[in-house]
Amino acid sequence: MAVARSMRRTSPITILLAAILAFGFICFVISPSSPATPEPATSQQRQENAAEHPLSPPTKPFFKSQAIRPDGHKAAPPVVHYDLNALTSTSHSAANGERLLILTPLARFYTEYWDNLEKLSYPHDLISLGFIAPKTADGNAAVAKLEKAIAKTQSGPIDNRFASISILRQDFEPPLKSQDEKVRHSMSAQKARRESMSRARNSLVFTTLGPATSWVLWLDSDVVETPRTLIQDLTGYDQPVVVPNCFQRFYDKSKRKWDVRPYDFNSWIDSQTAQNMAETMGPDEILLEGYAEMPTYRTLMAYLPDMKNLDTRKMVALDGVGGTALMVKADVHRDGAMFPAFPFFHLVETEGFAKMAKRLGYEVIGVPDYFVYHYNE
Amino acid sequence: MNRHVLEKGHSAYPIGSAFKISPNRFQPRSQPALRYRRHLFQRLCLLGGISLILLLLIFPSWRAAVLPTLSFGLLASPNDLHLQTVRYYDLSEVQGTEKGWERGERVLMCTPLRDASSHLPMFFSHLRNLTYPHELIDLAFLVSDSRDDTLSMLSHMLEDIQNDPNPKMPFGEISVIQKDFGQKVQQDVESRHGFEAQANRRKLMAQARNWLLSATLRPTHSWVYWRDADVETAPFTIIEDLMRHNKDVTVPNVWRPLPDWLGGEQPYDLNSWQESETALALADTLDEDAVIVEGYAEYATWRPHLAYLRDPYGDPDMEMELDGIGGVSILAKARVFRAGVHFPAFSFEKHAETEGFGKMARRMKFSVVGLPHYTIWHLYEPSVDDLRHMEEMEQERLAREKEEQERAGSKESTQPQTPGTEDAMDSEKLQGSAKGPAAHPAKDEPVKGDSSEAEGAAIMDTVKE
Repeated sequence: MAVARSMRRTSPITILLAAILAFGFICFVISPSSPATPEPATSQQRQENAAEHPLSPPTKPFFKSQAIRPDGHKAAPPVVHYDLNALTSTSHSAANGERLLILTPLARFYTEYWDNLEKLSYPHDLISLGFIAPKTADGNAAVAKLEKAIAKTQSGPIDNRFASISILRQDFEPPLKSQDEKVRHSMSAQKARRESMSRARNSLVFTTLGPATSWVLWLDSDVVETPRTLIQDLTGYDQPVVVPNCFQRFYDKSKRKWDVRPYDFNSWIDSQTAQNMAETMGPDEILLEGYAEMPTYRTLMAYLPDMKNLDTRKMVALDGVGGTALMVKADVHRDGAMFPAFPFFHLVETEGFAKMAKRLGYEVIGVPDYFVYHYNE
Repeated sequence: MNRHVLEKGHSAYPIGSAFKISPNRFQPRSQPALRYRRHLFQRLCLLGGISLILLLLIFPSWRAAVLPTLSFGLLASPNDLHLQTVRYYDLSEVQGTEKGWERGERVLMCTPLRDASSHLPMFFSHLRNLTYPHELIDLAFLVSDSRDDTLSMLSHMLEDIQNDPNPKMPFGEISVIQKDFGQKVQQDVESRHGFEAQANRRKLMAQARNWLLSATLRPTHSWVYWRDADVETAPFTIIEDLMRHNKDVTVPNVWRPLPDWLGGEQPYDLNSWQESETALALADTLDEDAVIVEGYAEYATWRPHLAYLRDPYGDPDMEMELDGIGGVSILAKARVFRAGVHFPAFSFEKHAETEGFGKMARRMKFSVVGLPHYTIWHLYEPSVDDLRHMEEMEQERLAREKEEQERAGSKESTQPQTPGTEDAMDSEKLQGSAKGPAAHPAKDEPVKGDSSEAEGAAIMDTVKE
């Protein structure tokens, strides 16, 4: 009798409620406990990191509303202290909360590039982005697409949002209107193109590098595939300048399958031949890599990996680097290492950068068995 | 009548039925089934709400997606952090023109500081007096390897200036950067200018300047003004004066006042010069890492120096093309720095720091000019020898005064003091002043006049990194 009574009191609703509760608890128990990467910052933490005033490093977001002084005038910008002695760049970048700046000279906008960027597993609140685009029709189109992608990401889930994004427009004309693959790579056009590229890179890094930035990652706008842990991996080598191997996926018609091939040939170890060539050159001539007219016999990192026996821990000391993907400790740039827009020891742009970093006493390291992939045009 | 209307099917408002509910008529209660359904509905809503809250607790990432929709945007959603994260800059708008103050061009003013607390009050009086609109000037300081209270003093003075009741006084963005470079070289006058220490000292200084600039240069800046804290006298309009020349890099002439017995004044900054054939030939013979430091007898370069070309009555607007520059006061367009020109902390074409900066700017085809007849005055800090000499002079003077007094005391009755004695004193002083600089060996004098150039014994000591 008593049992029946209690049964009668238990309405289906109570049972349903209990079921939902139970489901909730199960979800709670099953859901993966704290992932390997540190907890993403809450909105509060993000706000604490923000700058008070719009006049602030571009690597920081700032509050939209501004303080007003009691006398009605806008409050003057605050005095901000930055202790760069406390700034670290270590192999435990994510755990130490080290801030990173991803810099991209924007030639064209590829959705794959942005998607890949969004998927990076490094805490996004530690990542600032910087773009520079020429003031041409191509540049306008790329920036328009970029802004659309940014608007979507920066109003989406908070954990996906980047700390801050700067978009710069170049103050000089690019030497070539054409971004066509063949024209772009012709040897005569290379010098002018790379000098203009150097100026773009320098403009970007020296105006966006904030006082809190520990690392700078150079990532070209046509790098469309990287491991999700790219940042953790590259900072993990704990080297002043680290460059992975940039390959390209392509469809091999003879074998009828997708394959990879080397793309970036600017990462190399110098050769005696190249040095002899440099000695006979005039002060304004430059050495270029990857051209049959100019055989340098340098050891190219692109040909170093043994595809059957890959070891991502393998490091080689380099003399020149490519810029498709390049991890640099911010201190190297702060010391003055830049991308020479003039022949610097007969080298320009990223190769000249490697030379300058070496002259400043830094090591330049390549990781031949770690890959990023270039867009296939 | 009602029935009649309804039958016709015309009226939706039967006139007589407007007050159908009357207290004296029986109203049947609503159906239990209906009531039950309402309860069920309420419970379902409650349940849904609870489960939603539970789910939100379990998956915090859902909050961002669900809450704004539920609150119909009435509540300030936590989704909006009130943060501006995207910034857009067009660098072609910040090229720098000759009338920057009219176009609202921002200037970054960089000042490296080390153990400079004694210079700060003077420096801040200069700052307050600057006529360039203050809100367009962003201040950047680098405090490095300081053992005195430079940092706290600087912070206080900056706070004061930002909270000044005069709305035209506060400056723009203010960044105080702390970074120690492990300065082993002493900063006192004596060792600072010693030849051996120069190359390494210059490289460390270059590093410090680069750190300061790279951390504080923004895409909004049209100009960068480098100014040392130990400038004693400079026109309030210096930024506008240099800007008017509309050159990529502009430096004024830098002299320093001296006590009378040392000649009254002296060229201070010998790092602003034009390249000479001799120096280029010399550079070719040197090691790749060697650094030529101007103003020392060790390297006879025979370069025309900006400092020696000064005519106190010359046209202050006159320009002179330069290859190497000094760092006491440099106005440069920000685009020079954006293009990558910096202060080489390595040997760049055999030069480092500001001299290397001038060289690199020229290499990238920027214009570098100096103004020989526009002069600012660097603070005079007496060297150890000067101090010793001053002490000797002081003692001499005291001794002489005592002697005078004694003599006066003994001769008081016979004759009054003649003006001739004072003349004699003056002539003695003059002798001392003529002897003063000549008595010192060339190396001890921090900044030499023509002597350093004239002494041609070029000792080719290459200073390596």
